[in-house]
Amino acid sequence: MRYAFYPGCAMPVKALKYEISTRSLARKLGIELVDVPEFGCCGYPAKSMDFHVALIMAARNLALAEERNMDIVGACTGCVATLSEAKEYLEDGDLRSEVNKKLKALGVKEFTGRVRVRHFARILIEDYGLERLRKEVVNPLGSLEFGVHYGCHYMRPARAHEYFDDPSNPVTLDRLITSAGAKSIDYTNKNLCCGLTIMGISEDTGLRLAAEKLECLSERGVDAMVVACPSCCIAYENNQKLAGRTLGKAFNVPVLYFTQVLGLALGLSERELGFEFNRIKSDKITGSLIL
Amino acid sequence: MHGKLFDKERLGYCYQCGKCSSGCDINRLDPSFQPHRFLHLISMGAGARLLKDEGIWKCTTCFACSERCPQGIRVTEILWLARAMAVASGFVPDLVANQRDALLRTGRLIPVDNRKRERAGLPQIQEEPSLAARIFEMVRKH
Repeated sequence: MRYAFYPGCAMPVKALKYEISTRSLARKLGIELVDVPEFGCCGYPAKSMDFHVALIMAARNLALAEERNMDIVGACTGCVATLSEAKEYLEDGDLRSEVNKKLKALGVKEFTGRVRVRHFARILIEDYGLERLRKEVVNPLGSLEFGVHYGCHYMRPARAHEYFDDPSNPVTLDRLITSAGAKSIDYTNKNLCCGLTIMGISEDTGLRLAAEKLECLSERGVDAMVVACPSCCIAYENNQKLAGRTLGKAFNVPVLYFTQVLGLALGLSERELGFEFNRIKSDKITGSLIL
Repeated sequence: MHGKLFDKERLGYCYQCGKCSSGCDINRLDPSFQPHRFLHLISMGAGARLLKDEGIWKCTTCFACSERCPQGIRVTEILWLARAMAVASGFVPDLVANQRDALLRTGRLIPVDNRKRERAGLPQIQEEPSLAARIFEMVRKH
């Protein structure tokens, strides 16, 4: 298993614990994540500025992976959705040849459409396999209860993601967490957006969205919330205090990446999982490390 | 140019059922935000009224509306096109102006701190500062 690793803009700066734990987990499972130094922005922020600029940005990354004969694995749900959607747009032959002319001018070979774009969690399920993963568990997390947060772009738009998960009732991350022996709870607002993208536009509404989910998980007493996207983590972890204030509450909900949870179960060390970068510490979580 | 893009997102199929707005969490918290109203204005040829409307920037792009639409209209994408029209007309919220500056200056949304990465044992990231600027320029010239 060998993939072009697409870290995006946020992960390499704002989510070091996610990048560290993703690389460690892949290494442990024998999944090769190849760095492509030429990868640029996925185009997501440019969608609010110019349709064609955003599409060319995305297509360039797709074409770079094709040049290397590798499929793309991303870990930011926003990047994965944006690249997947670009692929869908480029099914239109006229648009594709227009974009390919621009790619040529940028010194990149043409985009043909054969590259696949998937989230690392999806690779673990579809290519590695849950059964195989279960056999690697050396530290079953039976005493831990998690609240999974998917993040909107993890499974939507569903067509761009090849309908790999249900767009309104997703299950794949729960399956990964339970494969690690942990409990993953159902809760009322599981499908809620983290709100990060509008926190800089309508701050109160964005923070309220984050707060509603944190309140629910706080009341349920989960040991941690589990995320699969840097943006969601920033919304719930970095902004947890601000979010709490919109409801007049102070939350203390640890936020882990799914790669950290799986790494715990596979016996990876605190350092290999980047736990030093977790802002909301939990003795119960670090106490379940076996290394 | 935008007309064709709106057609592609199936704007013309909207019959104003409002299902996009009724399933929208932003609408729940801020009832003034009504995606179906944006679609209505654009299809009536009054899209220019949205250029200065703060509302088009309140969408989180969660795609819930696009998945719910009984007509398969890509509502989120239509909002994105409305935003791009606003930007092209000079109505740019501060957040978006900052994001555009970062892209044009560094080629990325968030500039890299390679020293911090080295300390964390992560590989260096090679920046290509002029990349986004070149892409913006080639689209502008087209």
